[in-house]
Amino acid sequence: MSWSLSRKVSVALLGILMSTMLVTGLFGYYKFADVMSAMVNSRYSFVIFTIKQKLEDRLALGLPLRSLRQVQELVELEKTRDEQILGIQIFDTNREVLFDTDRGTIGSRVPPSWLEPLAVQGAQPFALNDDDIAMVGLPLVNTLGKTEGAVVLRYPAAYLEHQLGPLLRRLVGEFALVLAGFGLLAVIAASTLLGDVRSRLGAMTAALDHTLRRNQPPVPVPGAPEFESRFTEFCAKAHEAVEQIGEASDEVERLDRLA
Amino acid sequence: MRLDSSRSLLTRLFILAILVLATPLAIVSFHAMSEFEQGMIPEMDKKAAAIGRDVAAQVSRAIGYGIPIDRLVGVDDFFAPLLDNNPDIRYLAITDGVGRVMFISGAARDELEPHYRSADPGDGTAEGVKSSIGGYLDLALPLLARGQLSGHVHVGFDQGYVASRLRDILADVLVVVAASLIIAFEILLFVVFVNVTGPLKLVGDLLDKARRGDFSHLPAGSSDDEVGRFLRAIQAALRQLDGRYRALMAYVDEVRQAHFDKGVVEKVGAIADRLNFQYRFSSSGKPEVLAERRATDIRLALFLFVFAEELSRSFMPLFAGKLATSLPGLSAEMVMALPIAVFMAAIALSSPWGGRLAERMGPRRLFLWGLVPSVIGSLMTGIAFGVFDLLLWRALTGIGYALVTMACQSYISGALKSDQRAQGMGVYVAAVLTAGITGNALGGVVAERVGYRVSFFISAVVVALAGLLVSRLLAPTETAPRLAADGARHSMRLLRNWRFTVLMLFSAVPSKLALTGFLFFLVPVTLNHGNWDTADIARVMVLYPLSMLAVSPLAARLADRLGWRAGQVALGGLIGGAGMLAPLVLGSGPLGIAAAIICLGISHGMSASPLLAMLPDVCWTECRSLGTTNVLAFVRLMERAGSVAGPLLAAALIPLWGLTGAGIILGAVVLVLAAVFAVASAAYGSGPHIETEEDAA
Repeated sequence: MSWSLSRKVSVALLGILMSTMLVTGLFGYYKFADVMSAMVNSRYSFVIFTIKQKLEDRLALGLPLRSLRQVQELVELEKTRDEQILGIQIFDTNREVLFDTDRGTIGSRVPPSWLEPLAVQGAQPFALNDDDIAMVGLPLVNTLGKTEGAVVLRYPAAYLEHQLGPLLRRLVGEFALVLAGFGLLAVIAASTLLGDVRSRLGAMTAALDHTLRRNQPPVPVPGAPEFESRFTEFCAKAHEAVEQIGEASDEVERLDRLA
Repeated sequence: MRLDSSRSLLTRLFILAILVLATPLAIVSFHAMSEFEQGMIPEMDKKAAAIGRDVAAQVSRAIGYGIPIDRLVGVDDFFAPLLDNNPDIRYLAITDGVGRVMFISGAARDELEPHYRSADPGDGTAEGVKSSIGGYLDLALPLLARGQLSGHVHVGFDQGYVASRLRDILADVLVVVAASLIIAFEILLFVVFVNVTGPLKLVGDLLDKARRGDFSHLPAGSSDDEVGRFLRAIQAALRQLDGRYRALMAYVDEVRQAHFDKGVVEKVGAIADRLNFQYRFSSSGKPEVLAERRATDIRLALFLFVFAEELSRSFMPLFAGKLATSLPGLSAEMVMALPIAVFMAAIALSSPWGGRLAERMGPRRLFLWGLVPSVIGSLMTGIAFGVFDLLLWRALTGIGYALVTMACQSYISGALKSDQRAQGMGVYVAAVLTAGITGNALGGVVAERVGYRVSFFISAVVVALAGLLVSRLLAPTETAPRLAADGARHSMRLLRNWRFTVLMLFSAVPSKLALTGFLFFLVPVTLNHGNWDTADIARVMVLYPLSMLAVSPLAARLADRLGWRAGQVALGGLIGGAGMLAPLVLGSGPLGIAAAIICLGISHGMSASPLLAMLPDVCWTECRSLGTTNVLAFVRLMERAGSVAGPLLAAALIPLWGLTGAGIILGAVVLVLAAVFAVASAAYGSGPHIETEEDAA
């Protein structure tokens, strides 16, 4: 395949345009997804923060976590307020689930990895992931500063994807449309821009052909650009050399025949 | 438009690139931001509703116990932790049934009450009633006690909160767009130079020869585009001419050898002599192919290589800090500083060796060999499991960096005539600076998205790409100009020149000390300490090359016009040192750090060119006896010593003075050294200093 100048420049421009739009789109989208994820986490953190406050108020009275009353009702009430919440669970430092909106799991044990954030995070919210479920949790700390357990809220990990999916599809469509439009524009503009170079090179090639094949001297164009003027001089010199060589050849031939 | 000059064509193409890149990105970004805003608002509403519901439930319970709404106690204490833990919420308020504000935290009562009194949210719904009040978005939830509406709880967001989050996203987008435009410029420069102006410049040189009757050369080039066809037409014309000439000469030789008439032989000889006097054809039997090396040939490869290295600039100390918090006998800060120091030391020690290798292997081979430690170093840094192996991989990367940059300098040096060297080095500096801006800025964004380790793998891929370009596009060359002699042998001679020693110790070394100690080490560590993310750190660090790029051309012109080089170097040093003290005035926050970085960029932009330009005068005799290149190589070595010391000194200062204090002390050191140089610079005078030679004599 022949690669003309405009094709080369167009490919470079299209490559840059495509990669820039792709990288910009990806970074912009993922940054937005991060912001949205932080907002969702912040909302659920607030929900468990209120539960934590209520539980810690009662722990401050000296009651053990497993003996607290109305906790089951509290977590069930919070779950009913937001349909996206899959469940709220409270477990102690022995990993035993003490309260859960899914009553069937009460008494079971949470994975050991769930205790790790309690050791390092202090009073900060922590995030966990379990297959398709995202979790946000907060440690429960008594008045002596001892961690008694944690409250964890589960919500679908796909929640954000559901929220952002239609938006992403719209944006991809828009990106493709704009990319196609401006890609076409880049190709046309590159071709137009390089048209001048193409025509000037073509004219010089024709002038050279005219000089050497048809053996006619080049015609200087007044006001021609510097490069073309130098080229015309080159053609003239080449034509002169051809003439000189021709004349010399005729002269040598004539002298040779003198014999 | 000149065909053999890149400027006009490149300007047009770059304007086109800006139009076809910036316009669609602006359109798409505008729509995306609007979509993002629409996506964020419902999420904010949900959070406001969650908070409002909780507050309303607790207040309703209290009212339900019979406490009048205006007699509630401890409401401010109740609101305080809610506002502290949710910085996106601007205010919380409780109003009575007619809209009088009973309690409010986070906003002025007078600002909101008129609206609450005039509006009637009614019983509302569980999700509340939303309204816009001035700069706030207000969500009102009913307070119900025994089925009666007693008032409302109001949760307020700043309307600008969404805009501020969108600005964060937009900042990342703008960084990517700006970096893309610079990369586009580099690629277009490469495409235009390799395909159009490079070959046509060569044709231009050849036309000049031919205009004088010299037809001994053919232009190299075999592309199948318009320029290629034009070159082939010229090649054909020259071959045709050369063929006619050789046919004639063969005939002349035949006549000379075979003809019995001496008179004819003499006349034929005279014809040949006349032709050879008028025109010049190659003596090798066919026209020689003319191919020229140009500084711009290697620019894109150099840009990519430095770009890859700069990707990790904004987070290297943070990455080291993640691998190990401390080592026996070393503070955590020292552990973070070591990779930068080791990298700089590896460059300093390998550069003279790289210079000798360039002479022996040629720049192309050295570039390709230099990529081996670079790629391995980057890949292994990405999988480093501890500080010790990280140091090893950084040393390896530093060796690669030294070899590749020496190869590039050697190539550029060899491609240009001695009077064009400064212009050639301009190509080198421009590629390094633009790579510094784009690599640093994009590196921060990339690292924040994919993590530190993956960024090093990306680095390795880009380095390999640079190698691919060099292997495909640069013709092998066997020799390279001598770049540097043994530095140690000549160092004492140079150091005996007091002007040179003062220039090095009080200007060149402190400037690198500030660069690596402050910019490369302290800035990322300090900003990270202030919970800045990597992309934001990178954006702040980019201020350095940007301000340097803005000042540098002007400073170079001033240095040439005024000849006030020592003064400019001194002033640059003073600006840099004083700028680093900015946190004393502007505080230790981002403003102080940004001001310090900008001052450092101005300082280096102002002093870098004049410092190099004054060397031939300061070391007039040494440049004559050792060669300017060797003097420059020794200057680089001295500067690298400052680069190695910078992060180590800064790390040593942190335990004593803290992060901001370490920056200020470092700035004070630079300022004092610059002040000493400023005083000494008065004795430099102007013009070459030849007394050293006279003294020696």
